[in-house]
Amino acid sequence: MNTTVTQDMSFLHLISSASLPVQLVMLILVSISFFSWWFIFRKLFVIRHEIKKTDEFEDIFWRGADLNALYQRATSSRYVSGSMERIFAAGFGEFNKHPQGTDTEAVMESTRRAMRATYQREMDYLESHLSFLATVGSVSPYVGLLGTVWGIMNSFRSLSSMTQATIAHVAPGIAEALIATAMGLFAAIPAVVAYNRYASSTDQLATRFESFMEELSNVLQRRAV
Amino acid sequence: MAMSASILRNAIHTEPRVLLAGGLAVLVHLIFVALMIFSLNWKDHPPEGMTVDIWSEIPKPVQEPVKSQPLPKQTPKPEPQPEPQPPKPEPEPPKPEAVKPAPQPPKAVVSPPVKKPDIALKQKPEPVKETQAEVEEQKKKEQEKIKEQEKLKKEQEKQKELEKKKELEKQKEIEKRKEQEKQKEQERQKELEKQQELKKQKEKELAAQQRQRELEAKAQREAEAKRAAQQAAARAQITNEISKYKALILAKIRSRIVMPPDLPGNPVAEFNVTLLPGGDILDVRLSKSSGHAVFDSAVERAIFLSKPLPLPPDPALFNEFRNLNITVHYRE
Repeated sequence: MNTTVTQDMSFLHLISSASLPVQLVMLILVSISFFSWWFIFRKLFVIRHEIKKTDEFEDIFWRGADLNALYQRATSSRYVSGSMERIFAAGFGEFNKHPQGTDTEAVMESTRRAMRATYQREMDYLESHLSFLATVGSVSPYVGLLGTVWGIMNSFRSLSSMTQATIAHVAPGIAEALIATAMGLFAAIPAVVAYNRYASSTDQLATRFESFMEELSNVLQRRAV
Repeated sequence: MAMSASILRNAIHTEPRVLLAGGLAVLVHLIFVALMIFSLNWKDHPPEGMTVDIWSEIPKPVQEPVKSQPLPKQTPKPEPQPEPQPPKPEPEPPKPEAVKPAPQPPKAVVSPPVKKPDIALKQKPEPVKETQAEVEEQKKKEQEKIKEQEKLKKEQEKQKELEKKKELEKQKEIEKRKEQEKQKEQERQKELEKQQELKKQKEKELAAQQRQRELEAKAQREAEAKRAAQQAAARAQITNEISKYKALILAKIRSRIVMPPDLPGNPVAEFNVTLLPGGDILDVRLSKSSGHAVFDSAVERAIFLSKPLPLPPDPALFNEFRNLNITVHYRE
């Protein structure tokens, strides 16, 4: 490392003077942190958008709007639809495919299957990248710790060649090693917070979709009879 | 229907504001890095100042590399400037000194010889004129002499007057000096008197302080004596209490003894009794037998019968009663 001790302790100097494994760990952590923040913001926008759309659709649906008009609107290519609208469109489209007079139970069964399939796809879309956030939250502290341990090992190994061991010989190595832990924590903390928050919001949305599916199948059954 | 299904599947993948999210992520990291850099730099400033202070004590050659560049530039400049300046003046003074003395003495030597010839020339023409008007000159000389004499007389008189005046002035000065000395002596005496007064005052103050101290000491002694007396009284009370209760215990035990009849002389039995708080008896041991087993056993029974023994109400005094030595005489 540097021969002149405690000359420059600035952040950039510490990073640039770190050993190669520590620098690799730091690089990994920076990229992990960047992706986790990117997904945090992406999921924030997606979930916000989804909640807003669901509120709007439920409001329109329970005000007693015409189901055919709603179906037209949901399937039009210009309109940006929400998850609940897509579930509705799948169910209503499947229901209308069957000609009048077929067995009601069979019609309802196929309708429910169609809605469930769309529901699964929608939930998969909403929950995408959440597992990544969970992984970042649990793993990146360990990765940072690995870098720190490696850096401290190196600084102590360099200490063994000294006749007089002072804290000034070890301190810079430990400081630069601890930056890795700081990075790991910086990546982990927001990821964990975001994961918990987004998991609860997607759960809420899932219950809303499921209850809507049940209610819609009731409405359609009444029509079929 | 196939059309609508394809539209639905495509619609799933339109995610809002992906790029904005990326930009925000970059922004967050930039803020974090900036915070780290600035916060770490701020923390590093005091230690740097410390290192400069420490190095400044070590010899100069080390000082120059460690200090920042502007400082060494400033320090060398003043140092060389003074150094060249002193040498310049030093060479200069010797030169003028060496040159001037040389010309000056010659001038001084030359000028007197030049003047002397002038005087000699003036003196020489006078004897030449004597031949034509010696008488007139003599008369003039006589007149001049007379005048000079008169002048001398006048001057002498003036001198005498001046001397008289000087003497008067001297006398006056002497008188003044005497007066001044007298005044000084008076002032000294006054100062001495003042000092003496101050000393007296100080002595008085000291005496007063000593008196106060003595009074305080007396008060302290009295207070101590009072305390001692009170303590003694308390001790006396305690001892009184202890002896009173010991007497009570003995009296109670005595009242319970069933005396064996017709023992010769006055046998004494001594017992060591261990008490519990509250007056219960833990242990009774015969420390010195009376010589009559009947009497010893009678006393022992009486001690056990007389429990609880009377104890003072103050629990602090129980330590005096924990191990009691009871001596019982056959006859009172």
